[in-house]
Formats: sequence, structure tokens, C-alpha cells
Amino acid sequence: MKSQTMRDAFFDRLYELALSDRRIMVVAADMGAPSLDKFRRDLAQQFINIGIAEEAMVTVAVGLALSGKKVYTYAIMPFATLRCFEALKVNVSLMNVPVTIVGVGAGFSYDDSGPTHHATEDLSVMRVLPNFVIYNPSDSFLAARCADMSYNLSVPCYVRLDRKVLPTVRTKAFDIAAGYRIISSAKDGYLLATGNMVHQAVKIAGILSKKSIDVGVIDIFRIKPINEEILVDISSKVAWLATLEEHLLAGGFGSSVAEVLVDRRISTPLKRIGLAEKYYYEYGGRGYIRSVCHLTPEIVAMEIRKWLRD
Amino acid sequence: MDKIDYLVDKAARMRKLVMEMCIRAGTGHVTSSFSCVELLVALYHGRVLRYDAHSPSWPRRDRFILSKGQASPILYAVLADCGFFPKSWLRSFCQAGGKFGVHLQHDVPGVEITTGSLGYGLGIGAGMALAARLNRELYLTYVLLGDGECHEGSVWEAAMFAGHHQLNNLVAIVDRNWLCATDFTENCMRLNPLHKKWASFGWDVVCINGHSFPEILSAFSGLDSRQRNRPLAVIANTVKGRGVDFMENQPLWHGIAPEKEEARHALCRLKKQQKNLI
Repeated sequence: MKSQTMRDAFFDRLYELALSDRRIMVVAADMGAPSLDKFRRDLAQQFINIGIAEEAMVTVAVGLALSGKKVYTYAIMPFATLRCFEALKVNVSLMNVPVTIVGVGAGFSYDDSGPTHHATEDLSVMRVLPNFVIYNPSDSFLAARCADMSYNLSVPCYVRLDRKVLPTVRTKAFDIAAGYRIISSAKDGYLLATGNMVHQAVKIAGILSKKSIDVGVIDIFRIKPINEEILVDISSKVAWLATLEEHLLAGGFGSSVAEVLVDRRISTPLKRIGLAEKYYYEYGGRGYIRSVCHLTPEIVAMEIRKWLRD
Repeated sequence: MDKIDYLVDKAARMRKLVMEMCIRAGTGHVTSSFSCVELLVALYHGRVLRYDAHSPSWPRRDRFILSKGQASPILYAVLADCGFFPKSWLRSFCQAGGKFGVHLQHDVPGVEITTGSLGYGLGIGAGMALAARLNRELYLTYVLLGDGECHEGSVWEAAMFAGHHQLNNLVAIVDRNWLCATDFTENCMRLNPLHKKWASFGWDVVCINGHSFPEILSAFSGLDSRQRNRPLAVIANTVKGRGVDFMENQPLWHGIAPEKEEARHALCRLKKQQKNLI
């Protein structure tokens, strides 16, 4: 499979859908992409660049959707969500209007841009909005499938896309409707990862296996509604679980897993790994930023071993 | 009874209905409703809006968005009067088990969207107007905003969008009652020259007396022919609390209903006005 950004994989697939369904419209807040150039060129009536106006992006999208269009908004992630959060609450979530919010730049994707462009809080707030389905794909294959899945929804949807070209995750065939895929099975513990951290999880599992710790990796790409059954199932099969996210721990992916375990009275030990409550004015590449915030595979593997010893 | 007399009579009845609703509930934005009574009565009873009360989702209906959702009592009263839902629903305004409360709800027949958080109606209306153009549909979209609501930046994002796309099937009506919740608009953040602001965003603008039916109907006439190539802003100068002298133009009457003696006085005045008309 050719290397492609998630953004281009998503919009290439959406373009194919839009050719046959002229109801599909993209409302972008001054964002471009090679894949969006095709929309501008071939489907001019289905693409609006609304400028740097995220609240208008949401409200115009809702007006279009209430008039029969299938609408996708598109912006850098903090602006697609946090900037217009209350507009999303009142006009999308509350009225249950099927608009898909596409954000690009998960986690530290914009590694040269500083914390204004980091998306490390969006998940915590977006997942509390009723009616929303949230996808957080880990590679371009899943990003393209997110275009299909969001197209088939009749409720609001939020899709978190990484900005970088990430390698394609190799796995056996899986049921995409389940919202997760098992990358590797194990007997000791599982790393539950989402988005870009799935690739880190595979590396962490490799490091731990050299220390005779048998760790499996599960990619959870639908964060809401999370598949509770797989969490219940694996909890009974291993001694511990750990979640991994390039996002604040408060209210994030790990929290959503913890909520399921608590509510289901599951006492399997859970370690949440993510970001502390702070911002990072760090540059020099994503790898460097991760080293500063203790998210590199080596540091995480060490942290898990320490946690297991304690 | 000629058309204007009919509308004046209807406005008096609506004011009384709203007052009764709010007194019964002990809450509700009476004064915000009263500044736009004539505007709503003209839209629904003056043959301006196309609608079918028995089929609220009729695809060819004109869209009306009450963006200043705190004025829900007057819209609910008008919708009930038009037959969108039973008038008995008005009696349970803000009551346990009632169908609606202080701010506008999209699940009430005849209501297009939920409002109450200000500044969103115009953007949604612009989306509806654009969809009509793309789908080659003939309906018009009207959005009624408060003037205090025009402090919201999102109003101007939407106004810029509509002006840029020359949405000549979109009408913004600004209920220019000169008050927001706690003070006069010009004291907290000046809006004037409001008509020039709208014009500079690419809109045609007309300024009218928002309590004069001839002026209101004149502003809305000829819109179907799409003679203009810009959206239309109607700045309707109004009086907040219009109809009850001691509530008129008083910031402290925002968002509350009169009680006890004041409630009796208010109702008495409204009944007298109705009687005088008869």
C-alpha cells in the first residue's frame, strides 16, 4: 500500500463517495490537502472554504445538514473542536444532527507548532457530548474506512486524524464494526492503544517480550462507544492492562477504559499511560517531545516494569 | 376588519397570551418577547411566511429561525395560535411535564432549531439558504436576532459568509430594542452604526419601525422575485417590553415575569388595549 497521510486517505475515499452522492459536502476552515484539491476542482458545489471561522463552519454545516446534506467539517484539531465546542454542543450534539467533524493533528502531530496546535485535550471534552461517535484511526487504511463509517452514520461523528504518514498496521482480518483490532495476543498483559500510539505500543511490547513479559497489543480505533465486551473478555484472560495515548490522562482514552472496568466491577489492574496535566513548549520533532513527556517506547516499557514490580 | 387592523388585534391577543403564560409560570422573557410581537405576527399572520401548520416539516416551507431563543414565549404563542400544536401546551410553559421552557426547543412542532445560546441562528440559516440554492429550492430563510446578540462574533462570521455567497434568499431581522440583559447595548459595547455594519458585510439593509405593520410588511414584500443579489437585513427599531408602560425600556425587567400587584396591572393594561381595539 502506498504511503499516504490519514488526511489524504480519508478525503480520497470521501471523494469517491461524493462522486456518487452529491449530498456530501465538505466545509473547511482554510485547510487544504491534495485530496481536497479534487473536491475544489471536480465537485466545486460540494466544497466550501469558509475561512478562519470555526463557529460559522459548524453552524453553516448544521444548516446544510438540516437541509438534507451530508456534511463534513474540517480544521486543525483544536480549532475543529475546542474553539467551537459550545457550537458543537448546542447545534450538533443537542439536536443530534449528523455532521462529521474531521480534525487533523492528533496529539503532537504538529510537532513544530507548539501547544496551540497540539491536540491533547480534545478527546476528553468531545467524548462527553451525547450522540457523538468518535473514531481515532491508527493508520491510513483505517482513516479511509472512517470515511465509510461516518458516511453511514445518522448521528454526529468526530474523526481524529494524525498529520504524519504513519506505517500501515499489519493485522489479521478483523471486523471493523467492532471498533478495535487485535494486533497481537498474549498471556501476561495487554497494551490498549489508540491512534498514533498503537505503533509505539507494538515497540513497547517488543521491548517487554525481551524481558520475558508476554504482552499483546489491541488497537482501539472507536473510542465512543467503546467496545466494552472486548475489555471484559481480555480482563479475564491476563493479569494486567495498560492504556496508551498521546493525550492528557484526565478524561482521555485511558479514563474511558477505566470507567468500563469500574462499572463492570472488574478488578484487573490497569495502568494509564499518557500526558500529565501540562503543556509542552518543546520542539525538535515528535520523538523528542515524547522523550520529554515520557512517552517513548523505552521509557514506557520501563514504567510498566516498575509498575508491575510495585 | 382590514388586514392591518386584523394584525394589530392579533398582536394584542398574543401579548396577553404571553403575559398569561409567563405569569402562570412565574418566569419567562416577557420584555424580549414583547419587542418582537409585531414582527412575528406579521411573519405568520401577514402572509409573509409559507408554512403548513398541519405539516410542520413541509419541504417547501419558508424557514424561520428565532435566534434570540429567550423570546420563545411569543413564538410558542404564535405557533399555537396558528395550529402547530394545541393551545393547552402554553398553559404548561415551564411546568413539570410541560412541553417547553424558557428557551426555544427544536422538538416543538414548527420550531426549526434549538436556540438560547445566542449567536448561532444566522449561521444555521445561512447553511439552509445555501442548501436551498444548491438544491434549486424556492423557500426563503428568515432569522430573527436580538440586537444584543449582535455582540457575538459568530453573528458576524455568519454575516460575512452570507454576504460573500450573496445569499439573496436569506433575511436577517434584527430586533433593535437597544437593550441586552443588564444594560443598554450602546453602554456595554456600542453597536451603532448598526445598519452600516450590515451593509459593509455585503447585505442590503432597511431600517423600519418594528411595531408598524405597514413598515414590516413593506420590508418583506417582493422577496420571492429575488430582485436583489445580496442578503437582506431588516433592522427593526423596537421597544423592549412594548405594551406594558412600566416594563418598557427597563433593563431590570429582562428575563422575568411580573408578580402579584404588578402582574395584575400588566394584564389589566393588555386587556384594556385589546378592548380599545374592539
